[in-house]
Order: sequence, then C-alpha cells, then structure tokens
Amino acid sequence: MNTAQGPGTRPANSARVVIVDDHAIFRSGLKADLDASIQVVGEAATVEQAIAVIAQQRPDVVLLDVHLPGGLGGGGREVIAGSAALLSSTRFLALSVSDAAEDVVAVIRAGARGYVTKTISGAEITDAVFRVAGGDAVFSPRLAGFVLDAFGTAPADIADDELDKLSARELEVMRLIARGYSYKEVAKELFISIKTVETHVSAVLRKLQLSSRHELTKWAAERRLL
Amino acid sequence: MTTLPVRPPLARSSDRVIAGVCSGLAVHMGWPVKNVRLGMVLASFAGGAGLVFYAWLWIMVPTADEAARRTARRPASPIAPAVSQPAPAQAPDAGSPEGAARADADGGGGPSGPPWFRVQGMRYGKEILLGCGLLLVAGIMVAQLLGVDVSLGTLIPAAAVLGGASIAWMQLDETRRAGLVDKTKADQAGGWGRLAAGLALVVAGVLVMVSGSGSWEQTWLALLASVAVLGGVVLVLLPWALKFWRDLEAERAGRIRETERAEIAAHLHDSVLQTLALIQRRAGNEHDVVRLARAQERELRGWLFQDPGRESGQLSDRIKAVAGEVEDLLGHAVEVVTVGDAAMDEAHEALVQASREAMLNASRHGGGTVSVYLEASDGQAEIFIKDRGPGFELGDVPADRLGVRESIIGRMKRHGGSATILSTGEGTEVRLRVPAAADHAEGKS
Repeated sequence: MNTAQGPGTRPANSARVVIVDDHAIFRSGLKADLDASIQVVGEAATVEQAIAVIAQQRPDVVLLDVHLPGGLGGGGREVIAGSAALLSSTRFLALSVSDAAEDVVAVIRAGARGYVTKTISGAEITDAVFRVAGGDAVFSPRLAGFVLDAFGTAPADIADDELDKLSARELEVMRLIARGYSYKEVAKELFISIKTVETHVSAVLRKLQLSSRHELTKWAAERRLL
Repeated sequence: MTTLPVRPPLARSSDRVIAGVCSGLAVHMGWPVKNVRLGMVLASFAGGAGLVFYAWLWIMVPTADEAARRTARRPASPIAPAVSQPAPAQAPDAGSPEGAARADADGGGGPSGPPWFRVQGMRYGKEILLGCGLLLVAGIMVAQLLGVDVSLGTLIPAAAVLGGASIAWMQLDETRRAGLVDKTKADQAGGWGRLAAGLALVVAGVLVMVSGSGSWEQTWLALLASVAVLGGVVLVLLPWALKFWRDLEAERAGRIRETERAEIAAHLHDSVLQTLALIQRRAGNEHDVVRLARAQERELRGWLFQDPGRESGQLSDRIKAVAGEVEDLLGHAVEVVTVGDAAMDEAHEALVQASREAMLNASRHGGGTVSVYLEASDGQAEIFIKDRGPGFELGDVPADRLGVRESIIGRMKRHGGSATILSTGEGTEVRLRVPAAADHAEGKS
C-alpha cells in the first residue's frame, strides 16, 4: 500500500465524498457542516447501498459509519471489504460514536485510513477529509491512545519484529497526538516538518493494519473501552 | 488488501422442496442450488449416503428464523454471563460402583461430595437418589423375608446398574446447560465421558445379572435383541427429543432476552428519557443543552461499554470522573485519553486533585475543548492537560491567587511529584508527574 504521498499530490481544493450512515439526520447534519469545497456525490444507509454507490461514484473519500445495517452484519468493515478493488483510488475515513476498541481495530485493519468520533466539528472533519484524500492517515487523540495501549509504550528493540513495536520517534508522535496536539503542533514540538509527521503517522497506521501480533486482536477483544 | 469472504451461517432456508436443506447448504457454500440438489440425489443412489446426510442435516441444522433468533445481537448486559456457571470437568470415577451406590444410599450427599455425584443442578435429585437407595435396601429385605438367599453376586450388579443410571441422569441436566451456552470442548468431552461411563456401568450390570441365570448363548441372543430394539427406539425418538430440546433452548434464550430488554428499558427511562425531557424544556439555552447532552452521553457510554468485571477505583476511572465533574461545572468538553492504569495511592490522590484544578483552569480560561492524556506504567503516572486558550505567564498571576501555585505545583511537590506549566499564545499545557512508589518514598526522606 502506498502511504507516504506528500501534500503535493493532494487534490488541491475539492474532494468528492460519499457519506455512509444509517441515520438520515446525521447525514444531513454532516452535509451541512462540511466545507463548500467538499462535494457530496452520494449517500447510503446500508451495506449494500454503500457498496453500490461507491462503485458507481468512485469518490475520493468515503465517510463511513462503523455500525451499519444490512449485508452479513459486518458493518463498515464489510463495506471496505466489498470495495476492495477501489482501495487504491478511494479512501475510507471511519466515523463512529463507538469507543469500543474492537470496532476501531476491525475497521482500521480492513483498510480505513483514519478513525474519528462523530462529535468532531465541521472544520475538523473537512480537514480530515482532505488529509485522507491526500493519502495520509487521520489519528484522533483517542486512536493514538489506543495505539499506545495496544503496542506498548516502550520503544522497539532491534531484535523485535519491525511490525510489532513502534519506533522511538513514532512513539513520540503518537504521545503528542494523544495529548491533543495537531500535526502542525507536533511538527513544531519535535522540530520536524509536517510531512515527516505525516510519514510517521502513516507508518503507524501500516503497523496497525499489518501487524500479525496476536496480542493486538486479543487486546481489543478483551478491552471493551478505549 | 485481501479479506476472507464471510460465509453466511448454515441454516435451512424457507425456499424448500422437502426441508430446505439443499438450498440452505447452497447458500452456505456459495454453490448453485440445482447442483447441490442433483448431487444429493446422486449421492442417495450410492448406498443411501445422500439420504442419511440429508436426514442428518435436517435434524441438526436449524431453520433460518430459528438461527436468526438465536444469533440476535444481545446488548451488553451483566445478566448474560450469570445464566450458567461452568461445570467442573472431571473424569468419571467408575472404580467402585458399590461404594458409590452406598454413598448415595447413605443419604448424606452433601455439597462437599465428589463432583461426579453432585446433584446441585437437578431439583429433588438428592431425594430421588435417596429413595432409590432405600427401595433397594427394602427390596433386599423383602427378598430375604421370602426366603431367597440374596448373594453378593446379584447385589453388586444391581448396585452397578443404579450407580451408572444415576451418573447418566445427573449428566442430563449439565449437558442441557452446556448446549445453551457456548462451552469449551473439554467440558463437553468430560460430560460425554461421564455419560458413557454411566451407560457402560448399566450395561455391564444387566449383563452380569442376566448371565447368572442362563447359558451364555441365551445371554448373547438376548443382548443382541435388546440392543436392536434399543437402537430402533432411539432412531424413532431422537428427532423428537432433539426438536423438544431445541424448542426449550429457544424459549430459554427468549426469556433471557426479555429480562435484558426490561432492564435496558428501565435504564433508558431513568436516564435518557429524563435528559431528553430536560433538553426540550431548555431548548432556548444552547449552553445548557450541550451540557446536558454531554453528561448524558458520558453516563450512557459508561453503562454500555464499561466492563462490569473490571476493577473500579483505578487511577484512570478517577481521572475520568473528575473530568466529568469539570465538564458538568463549566460546560466545556473535557476529552480524556488514558494509556495503562494504576491502583490508587496517596500520591495518585494528589495527582487527581491537582489535575482537577488544572482542568478547571483550562476549561475556565481556555474556553474550548480540554485534552487530558494519562499515561501510567510501572507505578509511574503522567498527566497532560492541554487547552487552546490565550495562555498566561506564571509570574503575572497575583500572589494571593493560590490555584496554580498551591493546588497544582505545591501539591505535586509535597507528594514527591512534579508539575510543569508551558504556556504560549496558542494554549497552555500542564504536565503533572508522579514517579513510581519506591522513588517518591526516597524523595520524601
């Protein structure tokens, strides 16, 4: 998976978006909240509708609720699995009211590029959409906290499998995001460029998706709350 | 990224010719229905294999709506796990059937007895066993009164039959429970082992009894005949028994769900409905509405996602509770992220109080969402409280204002910890730290 695309490849000032959520009120509220530069090209309320609309519209970004009716009961995960052929051009940003770790793990491991909670403001979600459209990962403080909890807060030894631990730098970035820092503030704090921050975050996302570390899934199953 | 295809569960579908087995199988395996049906017919000619397989699936596979009812998503509730206590898996002890029968007949049968004749689950189980034992004793007495010489040769097999039967009966209850909830294989294997041991005991007892009064040839013939009859009876009654068993299970599951539903309804009524009513009455005041909604969200989240088995009163719980208080008091959201956890001690209590003060300041002066991050490992705990307010200079705070100087910095120092305050024009971050218990004990001395 190609993760580290710089801001240069980001669609400069518009993004085509499909909103998938089973609550019509939430969909219309979100549509009103989104910036004018974001064009909502489709909506869906069930797994089947979502897969159909995404295949038809081929949007840049899908705002995807984790819990959805229909299909085989897999919710957002199933939508991503059903749209696997489009993963190179369409990015998924998971939206949820759920704090449950297993939901987060499932949807991120299925291929979502980020996870934000539904209480996020319109400006923040607009920013997140553009970031995801550009191929970057979007980490909320909660997701960062989850990553730290799952991977442990000790940096990787050389002997460890590269995918099972975070490097010292990735740990620093995750800690700052968990503390509520924006990417820009993280960059300033660590004296690195925003692009480098994005690279670190994408690397962490990759580890989260690909790590075969069995503790990760076990951990998520055992802990019901982030 | 590749993901494994998710198979729909195996269930007899309503699109049926006989019992919906073929179409259900077709859906499960993702094959065309026609091929499955054709295959089944062809297999039937191969010595009836298809027929047997079909009949077996008919019995074992639930219909689509039965399956749907069974897998209906259960809301998180502390009730579900309380339905069944796992039975101890213990190998049957068939060593001394006589002793077992005698122990049963003794009638003590207290709860401290070996688990293989424990009768806790079965109502009146103890009484039934006692009655059997007494009947046996009475029978022996009557026989002796009538002048029959009762020898050990008949007594031992009779005791074996009784012991075996009681082991098998006790198994009945536990197997049923095992079927209702998903239990480990080991447990079920132990149950089947006990059932088999009971059966073996009974058969052996009967065999010895019958062989005592006739030739071996007759005994074998009789045994063969009775096994054949028994097999026939089982064949006829098994589907009925299974059907009955499944109905019972469905009804039980239904009752459990009903209880859960009632509890959820009661909870929602007490919390969410009340809050919604309040929100409608205060619809004009945006601040109040947001505050009510946040508080309700917090409460509902705690109820839905909190693991009831988890130890409460840990550091992270306290921080979340304090954050909730601050949120209620000042109306700005306080987002808490915790990594790791620690048991509370004196220094942690100081940490909680200092972070409360810091959250209050951040919420009051920052005027937006406050981010709180707690990281605890090996006894050491660190908390970061960040706001996006205009910031302040510690030197500019008047000397009589004790909030920051005393409640935060002073308190942390007294308990062997430290407090750092970083404030810029873009926000303030308070960093509080308590070292591991051994460290701050040293620091104080």
